[in-house]
Amino acid sequence: MHAQAVPDVPSEAVPPMLSVRDLRTYYRANRLGIKREVKAVDGISLTVRRGEIYGLAGESGSGKSTLLNCVAGAIRPPMEIVGGDIDFAFLSGYGGLHRAPPAEVARVRWRHLSYIMQGSMNVLNPLRRLRSVFVDFAYPHVGGTRQQFERQLHAHLARLNLDRSVLSAYPHELSGGMRQRATVALATVCRPDLIIADEPTTALDVLVQKEVLGMIRGIQREMGSSVLLVTHDMGVHAHVSDRLGIMYAGHLVEEAGTAEIFRNPLHPYTKHLISSLPRIGDDAPRCGLGGAPPNLADPPLGCRFHPRCPLAMKVCSGEAPAMLETAPGHRVACFAYNQSGGA
Amino acid sequence: MSDLLLDVCHVSKIFSRGGLLSRQRITAVDDVSFQIDKRRPEILAVIGESGSGKTTLCRMILNLELPTTGRLVFDGVDLATIRTAADRMMLRQGVQPIFQNPFDSFNPMKRLERYLFLTQRRFLAATQQPASSKAAIDDALHQVGLSLKEVSHRYPHELSGGQLQRVAIARALLARPKLIVADEPVSMVDASLRLSIVNLFRTVRDLGISIIYVTHDLATAYYISDRILVIRNGSIVESGDAKAVLKYPQHPYCRQLRDAVLLPDLANAAADVPISMTGVKGTGEPDRRP
Repeated sequence: MHAQAVPDVPSEAVPPMLSVRDLRTYYRANRLGIKREVKAVDGISLTVRRGEIYGLAGESGSGKSTLLNCVAGAIRPPMEIVGGDIDFAFLSGYGGLHRAPPAEVARVRWRHLSYIMQGSMNVLNPLRRLRSVFVDFAYPHVGGTRQQFERQLHAHLARLNLDRSVLSAYPHELSGGMRQRATVALATVCRPDLIIADEPTTALDVLVQKEVLGMIRGIQREMGSSVLLVTHDMGVHAHVSDRLGIMYAGHLVEEAGTAEIFRNPLHPYTKHLISSLPRIGDDAPRCGLGGAPPNLADPPLGCRFHPRCPLAMKVCSGEAPAMLETAPGHRVACFAYNQSGGA
Repeated sequence: MSDLLLDVCHVSKIFSRGGLLSRQRITAVDDVSFQIDKRRPEILAVIGESGSGKTTLCRMILNLELPTTGRLVFDGVDLATIRTAADRMMLRQGVQPIFQNPFDSFNPMKRLERYLFLTQRRFLAATQQPASSKAAIDDALHQVGLSLKEVSHRYPHELSGGQLQRVAIARALLARPKLIVADEPVSMVDASLRLSIVNLFRTVRDLGISIIYVTHDLATAYYISDRILVIRNGSIVESGDAKAVLKYPQHPYCRQLRDAVLLPDLANAAADVPISMTGVKGTGEPDRRP
């Protein structure tokens, strides 16, 4: 299953597909001379290896989507990258897509880096048939003649078990699940190296969700791409992700292989995420997390989780815990485990 | 007077679209019957995939849509006989809705307490002083774990989705309804906050208010509901005690639904990883044209 699919030991020889180092992205507003900074992503480092699905979990407002936008180079004010580097295997030396020259960005987009977006209805132009959408998005990056592209498109749809008649449909003629599968096809038609998926199944019901996830994972295995998958649904991560990063309030709080996270969660927030979900056949009462997510314009000092944490100690409100390794491949930022040698 | 709070009796809803010659008929709800007893408040989960007619059923119970055939009787009043604004007001006092997306159900330009005071004035205030209505609002907010102090002078965007959904529930409670119809109330809310909202429904039921909980999330339905209706293509395929139906589903569709739930467990993940590329044909949604 998951652990075997990807070697757990990072090989030094092969550079990772994506590496993010100490990324800090703030939303800066300046209204009537009052400056306000929302630290949506505050010092995140992670790597996505070749051929793996890296899952990011966390509640809304924890900075997951901001991180994805940075990776995709979609920086719009008031969002601002304050520090850190983003390096891709296929684009190095610039420190991120946002710093690369436009010609390089055009070379990389869709061919090497593609994006599966959440609301398929917002991605597909309602006035254009799907064939035109595919031509708009992918054809400039593929080259060759239109006939060749059309043949390639048919072969790709056949691989995804989609009927080619979807190409002549308008988005409103397709069901939500079908549209979402069309966006998966759209994101994978150029066989990209890295696919970013932002909540690809949140709006779908369970049956369609299972199909779409199977499709993402199947095509990823076949092409050997890497996927950065963001969703708050831990059930999805358990089934699809190889490694998992847990985000809370702009920080990465825990990272490990999926099996390890579920078997041995360390951070109290991770424990809560896994244990709070109700299951069919289990009648134990469960409770949600008390308190409110922190205001990122004025985050709590020290560990950002400490106001809601059941294990909070004195030190937690004073300084922020560093992300340290407790076991090979398992990193956690919590004073209860790894700081200053005490466990 | 009967003991039924809600009597849904062979209700169908057919939408037609297209012109005279190219008319298409779509059966959204097909001969659905169920009852809710007045003496035993309960949480009734209505489960089905998208397009199965759950929302249409809700809209008919809320009298936002009239059934094509069949009868809906709420607390002794046939919904088909409602004509005047006063009648509608009476009904709305008894049945309150909670919608899917809390950011859509509140106007972003208006402060939240305005909704609360408006509801209070509409349904109850004729008999009350301003001071006591403030206390009533604070009471309702306390029941959902908020207070008037936290909410007043705030606009919807200043609260998180979970908090906003709690305000929506508090607003529904203000009218002192007998039934709350909640249409996918937690599907837009984070997994970690979902549970606090769902637990709230149990508290509301213990106040003596029945809840129709519409969802496609089988895990929360199992966790919270007393009775369950599984709907497919507009008709009920299985119903009964929630725990029994979800643990030992009889109908093949229910089994399919239950097996599609992705559990946050590795033990189960290993057994049924949906990784094959086969079996992804079809839209996954039923064809509703006859």
